Order: sequence, then C-alpha cells, then structure tokens
Amino acid sequence: AAAGLCPCRAVLARRGGALRPLCGSRRGLAAGPETHFGFQTVTEAERREKIYQVFESVAKKYDVMNDSMTLGIHRIWKDILVHKMNPSPGTLLLDVAGGTGDIAFRFINYVRSVRERQLQRRLRHHQNLSWQEISESYQEDKSKSLGDSQVVVCDINKEMLKVGKQKAQHLGYSEGLSWVLGNAEELPFDDDKFDVYTIAFGIRNVTRIDLALEEAYRVLKPGGRFLCLEFSHVSNPLLSRLYDLYSFQVIPVLGEVIAGDWKSYQYLVESIRRFPPQEELKAMIEDAGFFKVDYQNLNSGIVAIHSGFKL
Amino acid sequence: VRCQLSPPQRALQASAVLRRVSDEQNKEPLASSSQQQFESHPTDHQPGQEPQGPRPSYTGQGGQESEDYESEEQLQHRILTAALEFVPEHGWTAEAIAEGAKTLGLSPAAAGMFHSDGSELILHFVSQCNTKLAELLEQEQKQVQLGEAEKKPTDQFLRDAVEARLRMLIPYIEKWPQALSILLLPHNIPSSLSLLTSMIDDIWHYAGDQSTD
Repeated sequence: AAAGLCPCRAVLARRGGALRPLCGSRRGLAAGPETHFGFQTVTEAERREKIYQVFESVAKKYDVMNDSMTLGIHRIWKDILVHKMNPSPGTLLLDVAGGTGDIAFRFINYVRSVRERQLQRRLRHHQNLSWQEISESYQEDKSKSLGDSQVVVCDINKEMLKVGKQKAQHLGYSEGLSWVLGNAEELPFDDDKFDVYTIAFGIRNVTRIDLALEEAYRVLKPGGRFLCLEFSHVSNPLLSRLYDLYSFQVIPVLGEVIAGDWKSYQYLVESIRRFPPQEELKAMIEDAGFFKVDYQNLNSGIVAIHSGFKL
Repeated sequence: VRCQLSPPQRALQASAVLRRVSDEQNKEPLASSSQQQFESHPTDHQPGQEPQGPRPSYTGQGGQESEDYESEEQLQHRILTAALEFVPEHGWTAEAIAEGAKTLGLSPAAAGMFHSDGSELILHFVSQCNTKLAELLEQEQKQVQLGEAEKKPTDQFLRDAVEARLRMLIPYIEKWPQALSILLLPHNIPSSLSLLTSMIDDIWHYAGDQSTD
C-alpha cells in the first residue's frame, strides 16, 4: 500500500514540479521576450517599466543634465536636425518622445522666421498697392504668424510632458503646439496625418524599435519625412576610447552630483552602447517601408541623423 | 489594388495611392475614405488629380500592366517637373519643389529629398531643355532628309538652334540669373558643365559635324 501511494505522490510531485516551470514561462510569455536594459537582461515589460521610472526621476533635471553632459553641444545637434528638416510654413510635425519640447520650440522658431521672410518678400511686391489693400494684407498675415504650421509633442512619460508644458509657458510658446500622451509603439493618431515625424534621443528608449518605425510609417503622409536624431557608434578608435572613458567615468558622476541619480545615467550610457549602429538602423528603417534612407554623422558618429521618406 | 510588395522591388506607396485614386475616378465612384485621409492637411490639393504626363494602362481593365511600380528617380523627376510651374513665383528654391510635391498629392516635406539650394531643379530643367532641343533638331533633320525643307547653311543652323534653346528660357527669364548663379557654385559645376558640353555636342552633330572628339 505504501509502495502504491508513493508512486502517486511521486507522480503528483513531478506534476507539481512540471507545473511550476510552466507558470514561470507563462509569466515570462506574458511579460514578453528577453531584451536588454543597459547591460542587464530583462523582459520587455520590465524594460518599459524601468525606462518609465528613469525618465520620471530625471524629468526635472533633464535639460540641465543634457547641457552638462554634452557641454551644451546637444543644442547644436538639435539645431542641425531642424535645419535639415527645413520646414515650410504649413508643415505638420509630430515630435515623438519629445518630452521637454526642445525640437518643438526650434521648429516653431524656424517656421516663424521663414514666414517672416515670406511676408517681407510679399510686401516688396506690394509696393504699388493702395494703402487700404496693404493694411488689409497686414491683418490677415498677422493672424497667421506660423502660417498654419503645427507641432504635436508626443511622449509616453507624464513627467516629461509636464516639464515641457511648463517650459513652453515660461518661454512664451502658445500657438501651434499640442501635447499628447502616447506610446511610440502604438501612436494615438490616424494614418497619413503628418508631414514630418521626428524622434530625437528617444528611439533608443523604445523597446520595440521596429514597431515604432512601422507606426512612424503609418502616421506619415505620402511624401512625408522621418527624421531620427540619436547617439550612434563612433568608428574612429581613438575617439571611441576617449568617448568611452568620458561616458563611463564622467557622466554617471555628473548624474549623481547634479541630479542625484547615478543609476539613471549609468543606464543612459549603457543604452547608447546597446543601440544598433548607423547601418543597422538604416536597414531597419528601410524594412519599415521608407525610401531614400540615409544618415549623417555628427561629431564623427557620436550622434547620427537618419532620414527616410514615405513614398 | 494590384500593387505587390515583392522583396527586391517595392512599389512606391505614393504612386500606388495615385493609381488607386485614378482607378476610383475611372471606375464607379468608390468610397472616398482614402481620399479623406489626404484631406487632413488644409493646404493639400485634392488628390483626385491625374499624375502629370500619360502613364500607360492604369485602369487595368484587361491585359497586362506595363509597370507595377515606378522607381524613386521617376518620382523625383515628376516632382521636379511639377515644381517648374512654381518657379516664376518662388524662384529656384526648395519652396518651389515643395509646391510641386503638393500638386502631386505628396507632403511638402518630400522636398527634403533634394538639395536645399534648388540646384537639382535647375539641372532637371536644363536637361529637359536640352532634350527638347535635341528632339527639335532631330525633327528638322528628318524634314531635310525627306526633302521637305532646305538644308540650312551652318551658321544659320547654329544661330537657329541657339535661338530656339534660348527661347525655352523665356517663361523663367526673371529668375534665370538666380539659376545661373546656383549653377556656378563649385559643387554644381561638374554637372552643369557636362550638360552644357553635351548640348553643344548635340548641336554640332546635327549641324553635320562628323568629328569624333
């Protein structure tokens, strides 16, 4: 009898044992396949959670840290991005992961100055009109200082959007600006809506880059442009060594001193190393359906701007 | 929609959509949902315009389609051709290219495909003019061969050819100085010079010059 019971118990125990790993893998399946967070290996859900927390904690000091880490050069990179975009008045821009609004503000400034130049040119041609006609044209032009251009700033993190909105108020940007909470892998917008899609220093933090690229393709109008500004790989070996030294020794320390957060900046530096290099990202963008995909290295590859068109 | 995304050659979405739109025009009026998606931008033109220039077998009523896709280059050529009509107003600039892209139903951001100084637009125009000139001279030569016209003396021939070529500039004559200055920029000189020399070669060829250099 005991011998009879034992095998049953043994079977039960084995089944129990079999169930446990099944539960574990089911948990793993629900959480998603393995991916990386910096140099750690985590599941996709964990990664999203961790990244959300990183940006939640750095949101208030984000701009200060950017300036101190890159010695202010990030401003030039962002200027170059908007210059490359060369937006004309009437352009509809979607800035994804645009949290604190850097690209959006630069876009508005650029479009405003282009519009002013357009108006000046038109005025020069108006020199033979009557006074009344000229004053009428002033009125209609004044109401369109941006010329119908609009920028939608989309970010997954509420804290970053909050900081962005405060900055906009502080700097006096009001018209042509919208703030939307959304996930780059699943944008809350309709198809064929935007002229330009930008993602500046954001795509590195997206867990499924291919999904984000597909979403970018979806929401762009035919003829629309995809622009991605991101840290990339330095091919020059000497520069690469110096860059690594700076990244791993200086940046986390700055993070601790200025923002009180060593780990977030450790993550940041590691995530740069884990991000695909220029050619690989170019291939991924082409896979999403974009044409004329190209990239431009800034500072010998520390940063790269990738561009593609939906044709 | 018959466009197939085969791995080696992908159909361009824009041309596919334009084809879909013209299909809807030619067949019964289908639901305009795809057209409404275009309407999102206030300054976009109605997408119901036929693409510029005749394209064979769009309706696909029967038989084969000659082309299932167009290359990026062909689309770029179409954009530049469409942009030419905006040159008198905007000059040889990215703005003119953006307006041209809009008439084809594309976003003005497509102008980013081209250099921002408008040089590609000018080179496109120049090569178009040269092609037209070559066709003109070819026709004249045929007429002479068929005996319908007299063979002109060389200096008269050259004068007429150059005059015909210069007349093609008349619609753009106000902005032509701007174009010339852009063509003289160092990075444009190789292309503009080669267009010039090949045009001269063509003229001399039709003038009867048999030399091989």
